[in-house]
Amino acid sequence: MYPIVLLSVLGIVVLFLGFMKSKSVLLPATLLFLVLALASNFIDWNQGKVLYFYEMLAVNNLTLAFNAIVLVSAFMIVAMTRGFQDQEEAQPAEYYGIMLFSLVGAFMIIGYEHLIMLFVGIEILSVSMYILTGSDKSNLRSNEAALKYFLMGAFATGIMLFGIALLYGATGSFNLTDIQSYVSIQGRGVSYILYAGLLLLLIGMLFKVSAAPFHFWTPDVYDGAPTIFTTFMSTIVKTAGFAAIFRLLSHSFTPIYSFWWITLAAITVLTLLVGNIIAVYQNSFKRMLAYSSISHAGYLLIAVTSLSPQTENAILFYSLAYSIATISAFGVLMLVSKKKALEGQVDESYAAFNGLAAQNPLLAFVLAVSMLSLAGIPLTAGFWGKFFVFGSAVERGLVWMLVVAVLMSAVGIYYYFRAIIAAYLKEGDIGKIRIAPFYRIILVVATAMTILFGLAPGIFEKLL
Amino acid sequence: MLSDFGIILLFILAAIVLIMVVLGASRLLRPNRPNEEKLTTYESGEEPLGNANVQFNVRFYVVALVFVLFEVELIFLFPWAVVFGNVDLIEQTDGRWGWFALAEMLVFVGMLTLGLAYAWRKGYLDWVRPTPQVPHTPSPVPPALYEQLNEKYAPKVKVP
Repeated sequence: MYPIVLLSVLGIVVLFLGFMKSKSVLLPATLLFLVLALASNFIDWNQGKVLYFYEMLAVNNLTLAFNAIVLVSAFMIVAMTRGFQDQEEAQPAEYYGIMLFSLVGAFMIIGYEHLIMLFVGIEILSVSMYILTGSDKSNLRSNEAALKYFLMGAFATGIMLFGIALLYGATGSFNLTDIQSYVSIQGRGVSYILYAGLLLLLIGMLFKVSAAPFHFWTPDVYDGAPTIFTTFMSTIVKTAGFAAIFRLLSHSFTPIYSFWWITLAAITVLTLLVGNIIAVYQNSFKRMLAYSSISHAGYLLIAVTSLSPQTENAILFYSLAYSIATISAFGVLMLVSKKKALEGQVDESYAAFNGLAAQNPLLAFVLAVSMLSLAGIPLTAGFWGKFFVFGSAVERGLVWMLVVAVLMSAVGIYYYFRAIIAAYLKEGDIGKIRIAPFYRIILVVATAMTILFGLAPGIFEKLL
Repeated sequence: MLSDFGIILLFILAAIVLIMVVLGASRLLRPNRPNEEKLTTYESGEEPLGNANVQFNVRFYVVALVFVLFEVELIFLFPWAVVFGNVDLIEQTDGRWGWFALAEMLVFVGMLTLGLAYAWRKGYLDWVRPTPQVPHTPSPVPPALYEQLNEKYAPKVKVP
């Protein structure tokens, strides 16, 4: 609860800081506020389940851990913006303010106890994302992306709200615990309205985490948005969205598992197939990462579908591994694409990385580690993420789904390694890229975390 | 036995039927004498001019957004006022309830005021005033000479 209140107020403070003459205070202020939020997050640590806001928000160690992942990702991303000093038209104060507000939405959907809270949180998060997507006003593709995202997101929200209304009609409550007691008392005899409501609600939430067949907005939006905000979307929205889906299904709907698991299993397999196979055909690295985010949604869905005792750890670890690897991949992409920009048009293809290792060994190494982690090669955090996810599927006995997933991660190796091959083996004329010191620290820390969690995943479980 | 959703369905059906009955009855009963004046768009008594599909100045939207914000705030104040003035609650808490409710609402209104202040400071509330461009011709003849010529040769018109 504390980070929600804190960031709501501090977001307004950031907006008003923007009126100062000097813009250089914004970045340190935002970073400081994020650290404050992270510290306040742990006030409730180990208190058990605590309810806030008239039982609309629940806090326990799991939600606090998700909050922490979101905050750490946000800290890294904000640090990589470098205050938007190289863009003339940028409005840094508004961007930082909106980022902080969107985090409030993320905390709400991570810890909601009431479906209205879920709805409000998803709206805060989504509306912020629509604005950030279209923040590059002079870029036609950014505008197109924002409009597409907004229209489709509005429809998804409508569907989700309809689902919530039907759930209320069936159970007479918005409260997750009340819904849980209704479902467990009625068992299989629940009203059909509840099934319809659950499916519609799931569709709305799966849209936000870009699971197939609700993924069609993802490539265009991720491609069109400014890269820094693509990073924000693909890490924070995904982490928070999966926390929300897991909370809904594990908290309220375990008694009717036999009803929803088959739907979710079909969506999982479809997401894995679509994400990985289409990613192979991409020539743009940024677009490939968009499809890769769809495929990672698929892996996370495996964990949700199997819903075993291991699932919450698996989702937590996978979100963390995915977030830091994605942040460092996008971080390298931002530097390289700007260096290779031609007449203001940034080059985001694989070819932009050609010969990166010759002059920039650090960047090439960071890129290689993040690609290995996303592909799930051992000794990186991504491997253990996949390992835990697959482990929870085995526990539930979903072996056929595991076969699909393993095949698809083999496909994934092809397109992730294309970037590594471009960086290390191809010839290119890319010169020395100057990296700001703070940016370098973030990249090194993200890489170090990926390797550290790859070598010793037990550290993470100790922290919990 | 109807469920609650059944009642809503009946409600929708009743609404449709009612409108059809009312409109149908008035169509049967009324005299039908259309003329040009009656068929024009009603625009608060003004004579409609031109096409409705014209581009509005984008600033209308900003003003409309700020307006909607405060409209919603106002609507929210009504239920609050009822709870705020609840005599039982105030007596039970020795008046602390009133201060609590007032503080809560001040926080809410304060947030919105901050938003308004932000929009104001950003200049979203300033309408762009047209600055008339006076045409200026660089000429060696001073304007005063023209004035004299006009005075001299202007036709003398008697103003009744």
